[in-house]
Amino acid sequence: MADIRLRSIEKMYGETAALCGIDLDIRDGEFLTLVGPSGCGKSTLLRIIAGLEEQTRGEVEIDGKSVNKIRASKRDLAMVFQSYALYPHLTVWQNMITPLRLRDLSSLERMPFIGRFVPGQRDKVKSLHTLAGETAHTLKLEQLLHRKPGQLSGGQRQRVALGRAMVRKPRAFLMDEPLSNLDAALRVHMRAELAELHRNLKTTFIYVTHDQAEALTMSDRIAIMIDGEIIQLGTPDEIYKNPRDRRVAEFVGSPKINILSGDVDESGNVSIMGNHTGIRIRKRIKKVHLGIRPEHFRLVNGNGATDSWPFHVTYKENLGSDFYLHGHLNGSKNRIITRAAPDEVGRITIGETVKVRARQGKPMVFCDNDCRIDVMQEAGYGSA
Amino acid sequence: MAARKNFMGYVFTAPAIILMLVILLAPVFIAATLSFTDYSLGNSSFNWVGLENYLKMFSRSTYVKMITASVTYVFIVVPGSIVLGLGAALLIHSLRRFGDIYKTIYFLPVMASLLAMAIVWEFTLHPTIGIINKTLASGCGNFPEIFFSLGWLPFVDGSSSWYSTCCREGFPLWFGDKAYTMATICFIGIWQSFGFNMVLYLAGLTSIPRELYQAAEMDGAVKGWDRFKLVTWPMLGPTTVFVVTISTIRSFQVFDTVEAITRGGPVKSTYVMMYAIYEKAIKHNMVGMGSAIVVVFLAFVLLLTFTQRYLVERRVHYS
Ligand SMILES: Nc1ncnc2c1ncn2[C@@H]1O[C@H](COP(=O)(O)OP(=O)(O)O)[C@@H](O)[C@H]1O
Ligand SMILES: [Mg+2]
Repeated sequence: MADIRLRSIEKMYGETAALCGIDLDIRDGEFLTLVGPSGCGKSTLLRIIAGLEEQTRGEVEIDGKSVNKIRASKRDLAMVFQSYALYPHLTVWQNMITPLRLRDLSSLERMPFIGRFVPGQRDKVKSLHTLAGETAHTLKLEQLLHRKPGQLSGGQRQRVALGRAMVRKPRAFLMDEPLSNLDAALRVHMRAELAELHRNLKTTFIYVTHDQAEALTMSDRIAIMIDGEIIQLGTPDEIYKNPRDRRVAEFVGSPKINILSGDVDESGNVSIMGNHTGIRIRKRIKKVHLGIRPEHFRLVNGNGATDSWPFHVTYKENLGSDFYLHGHLNGSKNRIITRAAPDEVGRITIGETVKVRARQGKPMVFCDNDCRIDVMQEAGYGSA
Repeated sequence: MAARKNFMGYVFTAPAIILMLVILLAPVFIAATLSFTDYSLGNSSFNWVGLENYLKMFSRSTYVKMITASVTYVFIVVPGSIVLGLGAALLIHSLRRFGDIYKTIYFLPVMASLLAMAIVWEFTLHPTIGIINKTLASGCGNFPEIFFSLGWLPFVDGSSSWYSTCCREGFPLWFGDKAYTMATICFIGIWQSFGFNMVLYLAGLTSIPRELYQAAEMDGAVKGWDRFKLVTWPMLGPTTVFVVTISTIRSFQVFDTVEAITRGGPVKSTYVMMYAIYEKAIKHNMVGMGSAIVVVFLAFVLLLTFTQRYLVERRVHYS
């Protein structure tokens, strides 16, 4: 149980800055996800929290106390590595009991043979075995205890790595892309299991991933990192529905949000390729970018005049429950993707031009340097 | 059809098989055959003597000494060069700078000709003009004698220590005294070969994933010794098996130092197998006897290789 506070953490590798001023408050018992594209400094930040790497500037506090001077093994945190980092020569059971032995037994008590004659050692060992046994039971590892990591599948290794982290009942779990070596189906399954584990343990989880879907499905809060900075911190809902930065909007959501460039006239009305959008902004600029998620498009029947845009379909992607139509708005080169229900698209053929329209209130407006612009008002058409 | 394919397979591998037969197996077979004879080079014929050569080897004291000498050498040089090699590798691996310089220095003896180095050592350890004995002698009566004789510790009689005794009675004849010769030859052997083991261990160390050390740190392995036991040593398992095998075979083959310095003496205390083969088969022209030693030698090496292959490797390769 711990709240972890980061204060203006900076990390330089030589001349290059990997982290530039990270401030983050992680609440006790929270599932916080650090998510961002590869190379943005997530692992570096996690390893600084763990104490495996030293920050160039800034402070890490755990439960209100600075741990800058405390080495990793004394911070009472547990880490799950992307490669699992299991000890290959030890069995699953030995792997799981190692952290307990190192923490609870003295060097003398750990000695083979001699250790047994230290008073009290037997009881200690017994209690360690009980603890490890409980963890093995929770993670359903009982059948595998005598195997070596080399004889396990990826998912089982993942579980053992979790078990090794859990046995000690650490103050917080740090996980660096723990699911990225698993196949897609198992990853989805483990997402649910991890979330459930978090609910049961009620311990702080700091979870690093580059997969926005993992972040959205599991977290209490998400911190989006790009180029060594946290550009938005919020609940999955907030991050998805109300990104404060174009990079966040583009990173979160799959398929990616469609970005269309729009023109603004003197009174602030935004139009795309000469088509009205009904969006008005207060800011006096000429050019904006409009972000519309695929599911925020609607197919329009007939020739609904001004409120819809001609959409040239180039590809139909069938996902069973949904269709994604790829194509472009007439005159524009930008490829855009819209979502539609299967029964809507049956009659649409590739190469055809259909009419689409954005759902009211859904498009987001961004300025040239990625900032979000608030929409002042929308003309009252297109009730979707 | 299948049989025909099989036949073509043999045709294609024939060059390799023939070469192996001619270069490797035929000589072994000939040596094995000769070991049952009393053949000498130049003789037009020979007599079959059955197991006589082997019986001699296990009954005559010369050959018993030969096996003792070889085994002693192996049992001293192999652990010595491995411990030193591993120690040097660990130290160099932990350095941030100058690692390459140390690597080069420690590797120099491996690259140098052992024969030439043996001569250098012979001079260095010469009883009267050698630098070692001169240095030791100059310490007599001075601080070194007092310090190393440990007379300053309670309950220790300094005057009966090795150093003080030598000061009174003269420093050892490193290559002339039966009590020292084997140890000195072993010392040169270790000095010459530990650099090789060091390089192998350095390669092994670089291949240990850094994440394992970080996992050990997170698990609470605070002391260096804990990390060594938990990560380094097990992960070096395959390297160690390889190093032990190579070192043992190389130690069984020791010849240069013995030939250059001691010629197997004094009183056959350094009469190692390779030297015995050379002496019997080449110098004394007793090819039959020499062949018998060769066969025993090969048996040792084979035994070792099989042990490595079937017993140990299975336990150190974890995946
Ligand atoms: N040991 C290192 N030396 C130099 N640069 C590093 C080192 N570790 C990471 N970096 C750099 O720091 C940046 C962030 O790395 P990392 O935290 O691993 O990113 P990710 O978000 O993919 O986990 C990258 O640009 C990487 O090249
Ligand atoms: Mg990473």
